[in-house]
Amino acid sequence: MDVESIPQQPLEKTAPVESADVVVGLLATLANDAMQAFFQALHELPGSPKIVVLHGEPGSAAAAATPQAVEGNSSVSVLPWSMLNAEPATPVQGISAAFRSLFAATEKLGARGCCLVASEMENATPDWVCRLLDPLLESEMDLVVPYYTPHKWQGLLNNSILYPLIRSLYGKRIHNPLGPDVGVSRRLAQKLAGATRNGNAGFEQVHPLASLTPVSVCENLQICQVRVGSRVYPPTDWINLSSLVAQVLGPIFLEMERGAPCWQRTRGSVSVPARGEARPVSEETDAADINVGRMLETFQLGVRDLQEIWSLVLPPATLFELRKISRLTSDKFTMPDELWARIVYDFALAHRLRTINRDHLLRSMTPLYLAWVGSYTRELQAAGGAAVEQRIERLALAYEAAKPYLISRWRWPDRFNP
Amino acid sequence: MWEQVRQALNQSTTKFLTEMAHLLPGMVALIVALLVSIVLAWILAIFVRRLLASVHFDERLAHWGFASVADWSPMNSPTRLVSRTAALLVILTGFLIGIAAFDAESTYLLVRSVFAYVPNVVGAILVLVVGGVVASFLARSVLIGAVNLNLQYARLLSLGVKWMVTVLTVAMALEHLEIAPGIVKLAFGILFGGIVLTLVLAVALNSKEVVTKSLEREMKEPSAENIEEPFRHV
Repeated sequence: MDVESIPQQPLEKTAPVESADVVVGLLATLANDAMQAFFQALHELPGSPKIVVLHGEPGSAAAAATPQAVEGNSSVSVLPWSMLNAEPATPVQGISAAFRSLFAATEKLGARGCCLVASEMENATPDWVCRLLDPLLESEMDLVVPYYTPHKWQGLLNNSILYPLIRSLYGKRIHNPLGPDVGVSRRLAQKLAGATRNGNAGFEQVHPLASLTPVSVCENLQICQVRVGSRVYPPTDWINLSSLVAQVLGPIFLEMERGAPCWQRTRGSVSVPARGEARPVSEETDAADINVGRMLETFQLGVRDLQEIWSLVLPPATLFELRKISRLTSDKFTMPDELWARIVYDFALAHRLRTINRDHLLRSMTPLYLAWVGSYTRELQAAGGAAVEQRIERLALAYEAAKPYLISRWRWPDRFNP
Repeated sequence: MWEQVRQALNQSTTKFLTEMAHLLPGMVALIVALLVSIVLAWILAIFVRRLLASVHFDERLAHWGFASVADWSPMNSPTRLVSRTAALLVILTGFLIGIAAFDAESTYLLVRSVFAYVPNVVGAILVLVVGGVVASFLARSVLIGAVNLNLQYARLLSLGVKWMVTVLTVAMALEHLEIAPGIVKLAFGILFGGIVLTLVLAVALNSKEVVTKSLEREMKEPSAENIEEPFRHV
């Protein structure tokens, strides 16, 4: 690994510890008892691997919560991680930066792998982090992705775009391809660091978070999923929803551009082994409490005012269908899966072609995304929690069915130009 | 007496012919310069048209947010507008070179002042182009942001921003051209203020309805944030 590509700060911070089996980056803010349980679980990992935990600066609240017993134990060392003090421009950039720093520390310490803990879990058993580490250490897996218990109204961007898109592109059914709680082998970390270096030469900055799954699949590395329970999702900031959409989809579309030779060869999809026991989908907010009116209003406003932009991205048939569904009342509103899949593909292509400013492009997708959320909500309002997986599976199949459309447009954009 | 008449006629004819003989090379030079510039302009126009067509200039211009340029272009093609403008500039240059060949003091001064004005024109064109790009970028940003915030007057806001930047740009360009600077400043102030006032009134009047509706909704139902609370996106 090229030393120049390693951020200097982790090099200095890891100086007191010379080696490790695994490096854990703790980005999540855990309560004191959860923190105790976290360290206790690390101690109990089979085989007593040498673990280095990166978190907080000395004196910070998180560092103060660290159990004193840890310092006396030879298998777990705690090092300060300046990542927590740096203010990233966006949460996605923050996690990507955390991964880069973690990869650098892994390389420096000669560890077999690393793991990022960025989320809190609902009713978590203390060992959920160990379940992410175990396949790295015991089964020589290269990428361990979480399989959070699906929720009807949570992880919607993942359910509507990330999971079905990455599944159709790379042919692997990875339910939470963007983690963010992920275990990465040293081999994969090195490949990602290499992709970042090459990326700087030809493409824009590669985001490790978005590259994890594509690089693993395209390099034929070992991937597994681990059922870790229900993730506590951060609350929705409705004012900045379009920024969130742009932050998440931008790196994904960039990665699509980089990995085009790989995903164009893939057809269909196969499941990826999932470890751990499946937990039942929780029954959430009562159907009567949910009102999708505001989301549909935003979509209708978009159909009225964003035609000028969408007409540069979407073909006339899609625009016609959008106009048609915008006239439906909220109790009959439905966005067909085929239409939604084609819209996502068209936006990915427009992103590649730089049809308009990329930030404008991604933000202008928000009303369409809200329309999908509205349609999904209306459909699942009366359904039980178990219907979520079936619904997402149906959407994923629609993405797979529409993939030839994406490949045609990707290869001959002029011929299919709207 | 007749001898004097004859001499006067001879003198005036000689003078006229001498003047003509002085002017003739200049006129021939003017005609030659015009002919050469027309041929060069024609070749340049073909070259520019083919070059722009090969890079899909018309489509790109529309993608960059300048779709309206096509409306006032010959045959609705901005490519033709650019190629014809380039050709006209070449012909104008040829004409000025031809005029300069007369070697008269007044034409020399005219040509000099025209050429001295060229940097102002180029500067004004640059200001207009940059202003146009900025205006469409900001208008698009405002439009998308306002739609995502579910503001019913999104288009109006976007148009307002576009016109504000456009008016500012045109005023700057005219200032650069030194055309009636006093009137331009006054007109700019009136127009800019007018647009801002119109926007404020329009937004305020629209908001009145929105606020009323939202207050009514507040009285009847829980707030929008509470309604959408169960949703988590990423």
